[in-house]
Amino acid sequence: MTKNLVVFDKIHKSFGNFVAVEEMNFDIKEGEFIAIMGPSGCGKTTTLRMLAGLDAPSSGEILINDQVMNDVKPHERDTPLVWQSLALFPFLTARENVEFGLKMRGVEKAERKKRALNWLDKLGILEFQDRDISTLSGGQKQRVALARSLVMEPKMLLLDEPLSALDAHLVIRMQSVLTQLQKELGITFVYVTHSQSEAFAMADRVVIMSKGEIAQIGSPRDIYREPANQFVAEFVGRNNILSGTVESVEHNRAKLNTPSGDFFVEVKAGQLTERDSASFVISADLVHLSAGEPDSKNTVACQLISEEFVGSMVTLFLENASGHEFKVQMQERELSKLELDLAKPIWLSWSECSAHVLGC
Amino acid sequence: MPIIVWQLAFFVGPVLFMVAMSFFLVKNYRMTEAFEFVNWAKMFSKGYFWSSYWHTVWIATISTLCAMCLAFPAAFALAFKASENTRRWAIFFLIIPFFTSYLVRTFSWFVILSESGVVNAILGTVGLGPYTMLNTHIGTLVGYMTLTLPLVVILQTVTMANIDRTLIEAARNLGCKPLAVIWRVILPLSKAGFIIAAVFCFILSFGDFVAPFYLGGSQEPTLPILILDTTKSGQQWPRAAVIAVVMMATLFTLAFTAIAIAYRKRSTS
Repeated sequence: MTKNLVVFDKIHKSFGNFVAVEEMNFDIKEGEFIAIMGPSGCGKTTTLRMLAGLDAPSSGEILINDQVMNDVKPHERDTPLVWQSLALFPFLTARENVEFGLKMRGVEKAERKKRALNWLDKLGILEFQDRDISTLSGGQKQRVALARSLVMEPKMLLLDEPLSALDAHLVIRMQSVLTQLQKELGITFVYVTHSQSEAFAMADRVVIMSKGEIAQIGSPRDIYREPANQFVAEFVGRNNILSGTVESVEHNRAKLNTPSGDFFVEVKAGQLTERDSASFVISADLVHLSAGEPDSKNTVACQLISEEFVGSMVTLFLENASGHEFKVQMQERELSKLELDLAKPIWLSWSECSAHVLGC
Repeated sequence: MPIIVWQLAFFVGPVLFMVAMSFFLVKNYRMTEAFEFVNWAKMFSKGYFWSSYWHTVWIATISTLCAMCLAFPAAFALAFKASENTRRWAIFFLIIPFFTSYLVRTFSWFVILSESGVVNAILGTVGLGPYTMLNTHIGTLVGYMTLTLPLVVILQTVTMANIDRTLIEAARNLGCKPLAVIWRVILPLSKAGFIIAAVFCFILSFGDFVAPFYLGGSQEPTLPILILDTTKSGQQWPRAAVIAVVMMATLFTLAFTAIAIAYRKRSTS
């Protein structure tokens, strides 16, 4: 059982009348890669800033290593942050930037240089050590910013959307650099992002936030396949959500009346009762397509609206008679194997066990 | 294009004329066109010219240091502690002194600084003084501050208000103590703006005639006072032109060097 490195205990943060974080309770374990994800204004950055001591909680306690941190000043903490804007000092060279924190800690000059060069080397930017920050490329700056934080040898590294300024191909590269570093160093990474692909690609656990509250915490797989509520299901994207009323519940199977038709879903015992209103979600990649009406229960006839290619994957956007939008995601070569006439109605179907009932 | 014409007509033209005038001769109290170096040789050989020159450089330097130091706490508070709105109002109020004549503002110091003035009256109540402040270097400096301080506060405030706050937070995040942030981050980031503020302050003090004349009592004459004396005594306009050209050359060199330092790129080897 790994130890809790950070505990948020009933944390509340407001700026004047604006509530940024409301009643937040969660733990961060030692050595885990945790991603905090949500739309802008959801309180994810405020959460990170509270960890660094840059914002003080309005109420509640933050514990790091079992120590209450509320009154510990930012410069007395061991929580280096990699900033969205990188925040490199323009009046210092790459190496001087990396040395900055060590200098503040009173590390002696020769030692400082040795450690800074070691990290610049590790991140593959040793040759740029004497360069002005303004002469470096985005990816090189990113590495300087990482080195500047990691040279402090922290137990926990905070990252605030660090890849948002990079080109798409560099993002993928940096993702693997980050995950490798995290494994190698065995330290905790707290990674704030609005990008689902970044969070899912790197994190052990993902915290989804909405309007200052935690909407769900779980592994990327859990969040993708079993979203806790409508917000998560919609935010995680590429999900089909259907809402309706429960007509009957038999064993572990409920029948729902929705404007798009009647559907059967698997339920846990006592999860739903008759006449409840309920929503369920089917991931876009679990929907089957066919030209004729399939011989199964959960089917909808749709008309194709548009399609979107992302490399080998294709997403179809369809609409049924009642105007509900459906998304279907599949391999491009599988779609062409089906030989569908995209002008004619297409039948969507899914198995009962693919449907996941949402909490309220 | 019109700007260039304007500059030529009203700046370059007069300056060139003044340079030319420094080579003119004065005969029978009348200026005559000539190209002689006698004025230059005369002025440069005078001990009083050089002592006045170095005195002016010295007191303008002290004035600049005083203004920069006095302005800093105010500018710091306005840039980092005050709200956007307060800062706007403060800058507006700092511009107001320029509405009234500098001469009037200088004369108002008489009431405050004279031996029977406000300051000595207050000090008198606790048994101190009276101190002589008028007709001393203190008087001159007070006058210079009247002229330069509002401008220096504005320039420093605007410079520091434009600093990216994230850089300050980043320094704090890396273990920099609150006070150390000032010289580790804020001052390096403010370099260009502060140098420009200092240059402005030096130029204004260096060329000011009112403060050393009325508040400083012109005991040790500064160059502007020397110009006045030179023109009054025997119509020596060409010699005054020599002083003026030397002053301009000094300020030009200073401003040029300072701006070069302010915007110097670090080596990128």
